[in-house]
Amino acid sequence: MRYIGWTLLIAFWMLLAGILHYTLPQKDVVRIVNTYEERQELNDWTRVFWSRPDAQSDELVNRDVQFIQTVQANGRPMVYRNEDTGWSWPPYFKFDTANLYTQAADSVSAKDAPEWYVITHYGWRNEFLSVFPNAVALRAVAGPDAPKGTPWVNIIVLLTLGVLLSAIWVRWRRFRRARIDPTLEGLQDNWEAAGDAVEARRGKFRRWLKSWRD
Amino acid sequence: MALIRVFFIVLVVLSVIYVSLSLYSRARCRDKLEAEWDAGGIADPRDRFVRDGLKDYDGSLRRKLILGVYIVPLMLVCLIIYFVNFA
Repeated sequence: MRYIGWTLLIAFWMLLAGILHYTLPQKDVVRIVNTYEERQELNDWTRVFWSRPDAQSDELVNRDVQFIQTVQANGRPMVYRNEDTGWSWPPYFKFDTANLYTQAADSVSAKDAPEWYVITHYGWRNEFLSVFPNAVALRAVAGPDAPKGTPWVNIIVLLTLGVLLSAIWVRWRRFRRARIDPTLEGLQDNWEAAGDAVEARRGKFRRWLKSWRD
Repeated sequence: MALIRVFFIVLVVLSVIYVSLSLYSRARCRDKLEAEWDAGGIADPRDRFVRDGLKDYDGSLRRKLILGVYIVPLMLVCLIIYFVNFA
């Protein structure tokens, strides 16, 4: 029973951490290599990793998606998709996909004359599932080691969430102490009282038996 | 349309929060008034004192501040839209 409780607890926190890690914005310093469009099939469960830019796209089984090819400061490749999030989840309300695509195409640089950009994105890259992070914003920086800036959005969101969760937790504990614990203790007291009564009666019976032997 | 769907869902959720919060806030105000009367020293009868106090509460700023339940998320969405698309 204790193992089930722990498993559920760990699963819950890992799920929450995963959702936050996927949804909150992250920043990479990259050099943009190219931009391209590719038709994507959207008819299996990996659909959840693509956006729903508008209501029409809900019914499509495939559509063209824009991509931004980049090389990171450490030399590794990273490919971002560039899609409107529209009014759906996650709540980035991104509508400027075409503008960002133009900006990215305008920011292409060669290896021997690199220009570095901080690309703000959310989501994960997974080669096996063909999942790409969604680029949200682009900003020029001095070099590959340039600071990415303070992640204010993450700080605010995580703080708010922490305050909210601890408030709920405190109230739940107070409720449990005031309402549930006394009830359970009452049950236990009754149970123990019943046990004591049985014990007492048995003791009396034993004494009576013993009185015959003596 | 996606916008209308989101608008509708958010409106329903926020309305539930708004109504619960209004009821809770008014009930707390009533509790406070009753405790104040029970502490003694008030000439008015209890129910009239509480009724007058609640009438004051109905016109108070505190009650209007609960409208922030609608306004704050709306401002937040506008802010996000501005920063993501136009800043």
